[in-house]
Amino acid sequence: MATTTATITIASSDIADNSFSVSNTSTLTTAGTDTGITETTGLGRKKFASGSNIVLLDGGLTSGIAADVTADKSAKVYIKNHNDRGNGTKYVTILLAAVEIGRLYGGDWMFIPWCAASGKDIEFTASDATETTLEYTCFYE
Amino acid sequence: MATTTATITLSSADLLSDNMSLSATMNLYKGGTTATGLEQVNYHRLIVPTGTNFDLIEESDALKDNSNYVYIINKNTDVTDYVKISINAEEIGRLYAGDWLFMPWNCDLSAAANDSTIELQAFTHEHVIEYALFHIGETLVTAADS
Repeated sequence: MATTTATITIASSDIADNSFSVSNTSTLTTAGTDTGITETTGLGRKKFASGSNIVLLDGGLTSGIAADVTADKSAKVYIKNHNDRGNGTKYVTILLAAVEIGRLYGGDWMFIPWCAASGKDIEFTASDATETTLEYTCFYE
Repeated sequence: MATTTATITLSSADLLSDNMSLSATMNLYKGGTTATGLEQVNYHRLIVPTGTNFDLIEESDALKDNSNYVYIINKNTDVTDYVKISINAEEIGRLYAGDWLFMPWNCDLSAAANDSTIELQAFTHEHVIEYALFHIGETLVTAADS
């Protein structure tokens, strides 16, 4: 088995009266076990220039890069909007199926579990047709 | 304004044939600004019983259509324990013991969105959950006796 860790640190010296810092490390395991996840889509980097809705990871497919992700297990997805922040008005909306999760502005990243069931695609829609670069990866069993 | 950063590091020495290490840091800015940091945060720790899908972070007008960021960690230690995280009846995924997530949250109040409340349901055992919402605003409720 492999050992893959995901560490987050959130820190601020001035969002509260005292410094605020949270740090945690998760070891990515298969569902309900302490066995390390052994598969990944690899790190992808995709450029696009469209304001249309686009499927990034297609849940439940029988082929393609996400086809081997077993649904309702412990898959994790990392996505980063690699653009500069610019004037702060351009962003990529991340959706699960047709449900909006949130907006990744330039430089923002997210790390979420993914149920990966049929139809539970992870999709994105850019706020306009400015060229945008996304980096993403999925760890799964 | 406040300066708050979120850093992720993904690493493994043996998942691939060579070491893997990825790190990214972001500032938590208000939407529509170049560098104005979010100034408000809610941090919670709670024990969630099994059997019910609960509203964890409720939508509100003050949160809509902007930058909000959510951090949730499952503090249980039994590897079989997990919680399901959902938005508008769509399951995002499962957080097993020790797992965390960090994501933007738009709080879409449009009729088409129906309900953008973030929901959580615990399975196997009750769960200790910590979560934070870094947000653009909060809809305060006028006191009933004011």
